[in-house]
Amino acid sequence: MGRLLVAALLLFVAGCSGGESAVPGGGKIDALLTKAPVYAGQVTPGSAVDRIRKRGELLIGGSQDAPLLSQLDPVSGELTGFDAYLGKLLAQYVLGKPSTDLLTATSETREPLLANGTVDVIVQTYTITPQRAERVSFAGPYYRSGQSIAVPKGSTGITKPADLAGKTVIVGANTPGVKAVRDVAPTAEVLEFGSDPECLTALKQGRGDAYVQDQAILVADASKDADLRLVGEPFTEDLYGIGIKHGDAEFTKFVNDWLREIGKSGLWQEVWKQTIGTVVTGEAPAPPAIAS
Amino acid sequence: MSLVLEGFLNTVALTLLSFAGAVLVGSLVAVLRIVPVPLLRAVGAVYVEVWRNIPLLAWLVLFVFGLPEVGVKMPLFWTAFTAIALYEAAFVAEALRSGVNSVASGQGEAARALGLTVPQSLRHVVLPQASRRVVQPLANIAIALTMATALAGVVGVVDMTRAAQRINLELAQPLLVFTGVGLCYLVMAAGIGYGARVLERRFA
Repeated sequence: MGRLLVAALLLFVAGCSGGESAVPGGGKIDALLTKAPVYAGQVTPGSAVDRIRKRGELLIGGSQDAPLLSQLDPVSGELTGFDAYLGKLLAQYVLGKPSTDLLTATSETREPLLANGTVDVIVQTYTITPQRAERVSFAGPYYRSGQSIAVPKGSTGITKPADLAGKTVIVGANTPGVKAVRDVAPTAEVLEFGSDPECLTALKQGRGDAYVQDQAILVADASKDADLRLVGEPFTEDLYGIGIKHGDAEFTKFVNDWLREIGKSGLWQEVWKQTIGTVVTGEAPAPPAIAS
Repeated sequence: MSLVLEGFLNTVALTLLSFAGAVLVGSLVAVLRIVPVPLLRAVGAVYVEVWRNIPLLAWLVLFVFGLPEVGVKMPLFWTAFTAIALYEAAFVAEALRSGVNSVASGQGEAARALGLTVPQSLRHVVLPQASRRVVQPLANIAIALTMATALAGVVGVVDMTRAAQRINLELAQPLLVFTGVGLCYLVMAAGIGYGARVLERRFA
């Protein structure tokens, strides 16, 4: 009986590991990595780059549940999405290999994680704001995003952001949408749910009149759901930056140089096409101009 | 500032109302579990085991997203109130039941030997002793319930924790914001603890 159990366990483990090796690293990121640059310049002893190289991996604060941006694929165990791939490419630039360790960060933990050195960078749709810039340094911006409005098909009355006034608006918890709605329609009631599927369900069940979310995510939703309609173009401009420990000007410049390089070489656009470009039609946009 | 106040008031309201609801339902369930009728006892036992063995977060998600599917749509606050009250009622029922069971059976028998009816022996002998013993367990449940209301923020209710997250999203000062929120919860829990001590002395 005991032997049978061990045999069954072994079979199970073998089955699991077999499943993993069947998708070695996934195709998309491998293709991107072949084109990725590697830093070949001087490294100041004691600098962030030096620390990361000695450690042998890049510690990234990010998400595992953001579709198109940074989502863990439950089948392959691979992290996919725009932010996730950029993290891998940054590790490749620093280390010459895509060794990363992702720590799940949240909007409450991002600043402390950077301040106490738990992570090297935050790559997590981290909108650059003046308040945050007092607490962390931002490299980038690396992505220009905007909040859009979605309504159930057949609903009328919301044709522009100002129409949200007095309405109940569903937004993703802890997303820039919370502030965006308050800015365009201070009288709107904001209803927050943790994930995109919950927000969609709540919209369908009539808990709110509209759903405000990053346009890329809404486009992806609408492509799968015929009952969802997008209202106009994005009404905000959110610039995402890579969070770095406050005051580390050297590492900020290092990451900015890398962002410029992949923007110029077309790698940034490749990443966009492989992720957000799979749901947003048209050519890849130009990467935003690096601030400093 | 109004956001802070809204969140705080919602948390206080949710705590008070859910606890009141939990005590009401919990008392009924406790009675079911004590009465000498096997069927009613079984109903009480099933209630307790079903409600307390499924996490509150699961109940909240089921109530908020599941009930509208079967045509029951309540405002989010009242949905959260119902789920929290019914969940905590299971714990309240067990605290009350163990309080009553902790009174030695000889006490009830002696009361009846003295000629008291069953309701009289309950009112004058068993319940006074039991109530003193359930004060602290109930206070524990009330404090746990206070903290559990933070889960309502996950399903759209603007409670104190959700309000703090919104504020932090702009201020980017999590240590400051969440220390403040923690202190608010501490004050509420300390208030419950103080109330429990006063009640305990009165019952003594």
